[in-house]
Amino acid sequence: MTRSKEDNIPLLMGLIAVQSLCAAFFLWDVLNDIGPDGLRALANLHIAIEALAALALVSAIVFETRYLMRLLRRKAHLEDQVSIAAGAFHEIVLAHFDRWGLTPAEADVAMFTIKGFSIAETARLRGSAEGTVKAQLNAVYRKAGVSGRGALLGLLVDDLMGAPLIERAG
Amino acid sequence: MTAYRIWDPFVRLFHWSLVALFAANALFVEDDSTAHEWIGYAIAALVVLRILWGFVGPRHARFAAFLPGTRALTEQIGDIATRRRRAHLGHTPLGALMIVNLLLTMLAICISGYLMTTDAFWGIEWVEEMHEVFVTWAEISVLAHVAAVLFESHRTGVNLPRAMVTGTKRVPDDIRIVE
Repeated sequence: MTRSKEDNIPLLMGLIAVQSLCAAFFLWDVLNDIGPDGLRALANLHIAIEALAALALVSAIVFETRYLMRLLRRKAHLEDQVSIAAGAFHEIVLAHFDRWGLTPAEADVAMFTIKGFSIAETARLRGSAEGTVKAQLNAVYRKAGVSGRGALLGLLVDDLMGAPLIERAG
Repeated sequence: MTAYRIWDPFVRLFHWSLVALFAANALFVEDDSTAHEWIGYAIAALVVLRILWGFVGPRHARFAAFLPGTRALTEQIGDIATRRRRAHLGHTPLGALMIVNLLLTMLAICISGYLMTTDAFWGIEWVEEMHEVFVTWAEISVLAHVAAVLFESHRTGVNLPRAMVTGTKRVPDDIRIVE
């Protein structure tokens, strides 16, 4: 299930590239059409529809790019885990990260921490300074409302076992 | 900081000559002057030399060393998505795509420009139009290239413009290195 999603990554990257080219062309075309008349040119139905289509394409690209970034973040941590249990646990963890409003960097650090990597190891894997990782980890604990690594793990494991501890903690 | 010698003198000379010559032709030199033509020939010669250098040059200049697969591209975008810092000693995968794009676009500009000077194609509209479309595409690509270089320098902490001047990449010690 999670496999097939990630097999789409190259396809998605190609799609984004091609659509970006199309969007650039259409935007350029619309801008040319609008020309000296400014926004009044949009009163012309044809130009208005063209402009709308170009904007729709641009928002589709933004949406796809965000989706791609999400997939890549998943992939970064699921590379060597194929079991359904690992996938399910990962889903729950990601849902929590979303709810806590972790930044992408904080989510990455938190994921390494949950997997048992030390601060030094996480810093080496992420190519950042240990002080940075410490600060990011403190932000994770603060946002999750827990005191440290043990409590963070407890929170997630409890949730996986069906006891919604998160409700009480939050 | 650890310093790595990456770009050989020819790669650097090629890069900055191309910058100067393309800027001259696109922005400053009169379009139908002989200077415009000669600068075009010089660019064609430079690009052909660079392509040959891509087969016989030192390691980091070779196409075989930097043409990326989907896996390498995925990993670089993944690094951006997770805010991980990994430095590539040679070209990054996305950067390599831009190089191929720019080399091919330059060739297309040179060929269409040359055709405009021949008897067979002189004054024919579609040739002229191709020339202009490729130039516009090259200008967009250059802007994207510069933006990406600034972004990557900021992201990884490696000063990439400086490396293209001195030939040496100074890589922060806490960063991971790919290759």
